[in-house]
Amino acid sequence: MPSNLDTENQLVKSLTDQFKNKIKTEYVKHNRIKISTNQDNLKSLATSVKELGFEQVISHGGTDYPDNNVFRIEYHIICVSKKKLRSIMFSIMTEISKDTPEIETLIDIFPSAEFHEQETYENFGITFTGHPRMEKLLLPEDWDDIPPLRKDYILPGRG
Amino acid sequence: METFEEFVKRILTILFWFLLISPLIIFPVLFLLVPLLGIDVTLANEILTATIDPFKAIKLADRYGVGPSSTFFKVAAFPGFTFAALVATLVILYERKLMAKAQLRVGPLYAGRFEGVLQPIADLFKLLGKELVVPEKADKTFFWAAPILSLGLGAALLTVIPLSPTTYIARSEFSLLIPFAIIGFSPLVVLIAAWASSNKFAFIGGLRALHQLAAYEIPMLLSILGIVILTGSFDLMKIVEAQKDMWFIFPQFLAAIIFYITILSELERVPFDLPEAETEIVSGWLTEYTGMHFGLLQLGVYVKFYVLALLFTLLFLGGWNGPAFLPPIVWLLTKLFFVITMIIFPRAVLPRLRIDQLIRIGWAWLIALSFINLFIAVIESSLGVI
Amino acid sequence: MQNAAMNIEDKGGDQLVLHVGPQHPGSGHFRIIVTVDGDYIVGAKPDPGYVHRGAEKMAEYRDYIQNIPHLERPVIIDATGVTLPYVLTAEKIIDVEAPDRAQYIRMIMAELNRIISHLYWLGIYGIFLGHSTMFMWPMGDRELFIDLAESIGGTRVTFSYVVPGGVRNDMPTNFKERALKTFDYFEKRIEEYKKIFFNNPLMSARTEGIGTMDKKDAIRLGITGSNLRACGIDSDTRKDETYCLYDRVDFEIPTRKEGDSYARCIVRLEELQQSMNIMKQVFDLIEPGPIKQVIGGVMRGEPGEAFVRTEAARGTMFYHIVSDGEKNPYRVKISVPSFRNLIGMTHLLVGSRLADMPAIYWSLDYWPVEADR
Repeated sequence: MPSNLDTENQLVKSLTDQFKNKIKTEYVKHNRIKISTNQDNLKSLATSVKELGFEQVISHGGTDYPDNNVFRIEYHIICVSKKKLRSIMFSIMTEISKDTPEIETLIDIFPSAEFHEQETYENFGITFTGHPRMEKLLLPEDWDDIPPLRKDYILPGRG
Repeated sequence: METFEEFVKRILTILFWFLLISPLIIFPVLFLLVPLLGIDVTLANEILTATIDPFKAIKLADRYGVGPSSTFFKVAAFPGFTFAALVATLVILYERKLMAKAQLRVGPLYAGRFEGVLQPIADLFKLLGKELVVPEKADKTFFWAAPILSLGLGAALLTVIPLSPTTYIARSEFSLLIPFAIIGFSPLVVLIAAWASSNKFAFIGGLRALHQLAAYEIPMLLSILGIVILTGSFDLMKIVEAQKDMWFIFPQFLAAIIFYITILSELERVPFDLPEAETEIVSGWLTEYTGMHFGLLQLGVYVKFYVLALLFTLLFLGGWNGPAFLPPIVWLLTKLFFVITMIIFPRAVLPRLRIDQLIRIGWAWLIALSFINLFIAVIESSLGVI
Repeated sequence: MQNAAMNIEDKGGDQLVLHVGPQHPGSGHFRIIVTVDGDYIVGAKPDPGYVHRGAEKMAEYRDYIQNIPHLERPVIIDATGVTLPYVLTAEKIIDVEAPDRAQYIRMIMAELNRIISHLYWLGIYGIFLGHSTMFMWPMGDRELFIDLAESIGGTRVTFSYVVPGGVRNDMPTNFKERALKTFDYFEKRIEEYKKIFFNNPLMSARTEGIGTMDKKDAIRLGITGSNLRACGIDSDTRKDETYCLYDRVDFEIPTRKEGDSYARCIVRLEELQQSMNIMKQVFDLIEPGPIKQVIGGVMRGEPGEAFVRTEAARGTMFYHIVSDGEKNPYRVKISVPSFRNLIGMTHLLVGSRLADMPAIYWSLDYWPVEADR
């Protein structure tokens, strides 16, 4: 399996040229790229990633870090149509404060993120502004506890 | 909690005491009470001997007007309702076994010693034991009426159809038209059942049944018109007699195919089982029916199955005509068995159609073909083929 | 009339709202609220979540080994398909690698599971179109493959067979002969399936041109697996980003251009053949050797994260595990193919006929339990 590292470095370089110090390259590994940015630049970064040829959100999720009082939000983006980019998974990441869990939605750039964002909304209580259906998807409609994937929600019987 | 052994013991005890005590009641009634009321004493003897001697039983029945030659017997037993219901239950069993063989299964196996032959009886007792659930918002009158209507419709179909030159309930010059007049009513029963259920899926099923009626009713009637042209009669007896030399399936092959397809459609069988398409609309118009309600609706459908298969046999396969070494009724039932197999078999090999496809088949193909068939019939009739 | 109580929602026209599921023979543990206007569907709103158990949250309370049977539960029909990516991710976190023989056995199990899952799908698709024989046949033949998988994994469906560092136990010595015999039989059966179902004119009338998905829409909406390949994109994670030893075997990716229900069916049917081809090659490649790299003590991950995707039966299965060095994972994110295909269902259902709903719904191979997790 030939390494794709050259392609990956080129992709990252084109992004760093565009965004300068607004983005931070977390790592470039075999088939894996991860770039973090702040909350405001996420949308423009996503637009640029899409222009590079990555077209589907394969996964989107959050992670709760109560020590830093942040949620980490990640979008894992892949390409299915171009042979050269297929092996690469591109992750963009941002951190938002737990006090104001609000972020702009990416579904106008990646429509495939629609249900993923809805799931993150119900599991973490993060509101995606601009999302047309910010409502419960998997959880029961009458769920009145704190969002279950936050670390301060303890599973019943596991306390 | 009663164990099974205790249960059996209890039943056997009850049975034992019943058998012991019942003669003590029956004999005084027969030998003391009956003469006191002025009824002939020999009657009591006859009743008792009739229970063990069938010939005496027939004689006894004849005396009171319910013997094998009476109209009551014809309507109720043979060739009327009981016979039809018996055939219908056998068709259900046969269908299940045939489907199972086609699908590499065994089918009903445990009820009865041999290949689950008693399965229909087991099913009957299961249905009898079920609770009759009537939905709260249902239209109660019509909800109860639909199963009875369905069965009554099936029974009404039997009146004028002969099974052999001597076996029939009633004769009519229009014995071909009468069954079709009655069959035309059957989607209405479906609609009554669907509407009374007050269920959206049942409602859709009922509407689909009406659509289906529009698709098959006209070609069905047109396809039999060819035979009427050839024989110049609406009488099934005469139509069968006209097939002594040649079955009508040969000169009227197109009509046979059209009639066969419309039978499938009328009986809501695959590939035309749209009104009860399970995965689309739950069970269609049958959705809310439970227990014996469901049983009666199904029995009505299968009696209709028997009648239509019988009509196909009479119209196209020469009815009871056949070499003389077997009685006519045996020939009829043999052909009937073949037709029933043909009607069952598509269920094993075909998927379900869509309502628009069905209507297209009905209107664009079957009606056009049945008109062509009419021309063929006219030409054959003028050439004197028959 | 009493029937005014029928409650036909007035939507300003002749529209009727139908709740298809969760108690509907054609829905599974899942509800889809469709609005029909006459025979046409004008609105479809999926409502998943009837079997949501919070597998991701529960995974945070279990260690890496306990999580294998736990995470298998959502997709017992494709048990290896869902545990393999988890184990691959966990291996990256724990930093172990399985020996070659284990990788090959994993491939055999994954492909067997793909066949088992596809046959289950095929059976249900048959009955969804009203073809009862096509329900019975694949269900019966599926048992043969379950028997094969049972002889390796020990149970019929929930094997929990793949573990970090290798596989639980070696496969039986006569497995190759048994498997090849089954494959010979099944290849004949595939021809019979084609005769009775796939080449049946009524079946193609029900599925051809129904639920057609555009190539662009498929990419845009994030459709995955066989559904994507039916739109003409030969994307398969087994080739795109090789895992296990899939780069050493040679197989084709079946694709179709049409993107309709029939294309999705026929792609899955051809995948059955390809899975058998892969296994036949693996039987030639596999060599004796160790099957497990034994890890002493409790498995603890390095602080960090890993994400892995594999090709499960229904499409690309994605795992993202974050570790903080404890014995339990800090966060497990599972992105399942059914959940991603769900968005395509709404897209395809609107504008189609009510009678086509089962034909479209199950052609996407949506598995409600998998989507809900």
